[in-house]
Amino acid sequence: MNQGKSERAVGYALIGFERLVTQDRVNAYADASGDHNPIHLDEAYAAATQFGTRIAHGMLSLALVTEMLAIEFPNTWHSGGKLKVRFTAPIIPGESVTTYGEITAIDEIHDEKGILRVATCIVGCKKPDGTDAVSGRATVPLE
Amino acid sequence: MASPLISTAVVGHEFGPYDVTIPVERARAYAAAIGGDESPDYGNHLAPVMVVAAALTELINDLGLFSGGLQAVHAGQEVSWERRIEIGEKVDASGRLVSNSVRRGNHFATIAVSYTDAGRTEVGTSSTTIIVTGEQSQ
Repeated sequence: MNQGKSERAVGYALIGFERLVTQDRVNAYADASGDHNPIHLDEAYAAATQFGTRIAHGMLSLALVTEMLAIEFPNTWHSGGKLKVRFTAPIIPGESVTTYGEITAIDEIHDEKGILRVATCIVGCKKPDGTDAVSGRATVPLE
Repeated sequence: MASPLISTAVVGHEFGPYDVTIPVERARAYAAAIGGDESPDYGNHLAPVMVVAAALTELINDLGLFSGGLQAVHAGQEVSWERRIEIGEKVDASGRLVSNSVRRGNHFATIAVSYTDAGRTEVGTSSTTIIVTGEQSQ
C-alpha cells in the first residue's frame, strides 16, 4: 500500500505510469538525443536487423524510468540521484509500457552536512507482456 | 575500409570532450518524446539523462558502432547527477574506455563519462556498456 510521500518507508511503491511509445515519440527522441540511427527510424533498414523491426532507443526507456523518479523525488533526484540499470528487451513502437519502483532500503549517511537519508529503490519499465525492457536500482536522497 | 574504433581502441582511450549543451529545441523534443500528463514541470531545467543521451550519441558516432554491418546493443547504463542543469547551459562530456573485451566474437565495451560545467566542476557521471556484434563481416 502506498503511504504519503512524507512517510516513505521500505516497501513504499513508487507511483509508476503507463506510456504508449509511438513512432512519433521515437522520432522526437531521435531529435532530442541526436541519435538518428536507422534502427530506430527506418523500417526497411530495421527489418534486416536482429530485431526485425524498428525499436525505441534504450535511453528512451531509461528516460521513462527517470521521469518516474523525478515525479516521486522532485527536489532530490536531479541533485544527488544515482541509477544503474540493464536493458533487457527493446521497446517496439506501438507498445504501452509501465514504469514501476519500490523502496527496498533507507540508509542514513553521516557527512559534514549532517545526517542524510538515502532511499534505495528497485526500478524498471515493463513491456505489455510483463517482461522488463529496463530494470535496475536507484538511490535518491530523501528530503 | 578502415576498422571502426571499437575494434582497435584500447582501455584508457579518451573520447571528447564533447559539447553536450542542450538547446531549447532539443529540450522540447525530449518533452514530446517522454512527457505525459503526470510529468513534472522542469521549468528551465533538463532531465540529466538527456545530457547523457547526447553524449552517448557522440560516443556511438566516434566508435563507429553502426558502420559496416556492425550492430550494437545498449546493455547497461549508470548515471549519477550532482545538480540541476539549465536549458542552454554549457556542459562538456569527456569519456574514457574502461573495458573492451572480446567474448565469442562479440565486443563488450564500457565507457565512463564525466560531465563538467563552464567552471569545470563535475556535475555528473555516467557509464555505458555496449555489446557489438557483426565484426566478422569487416
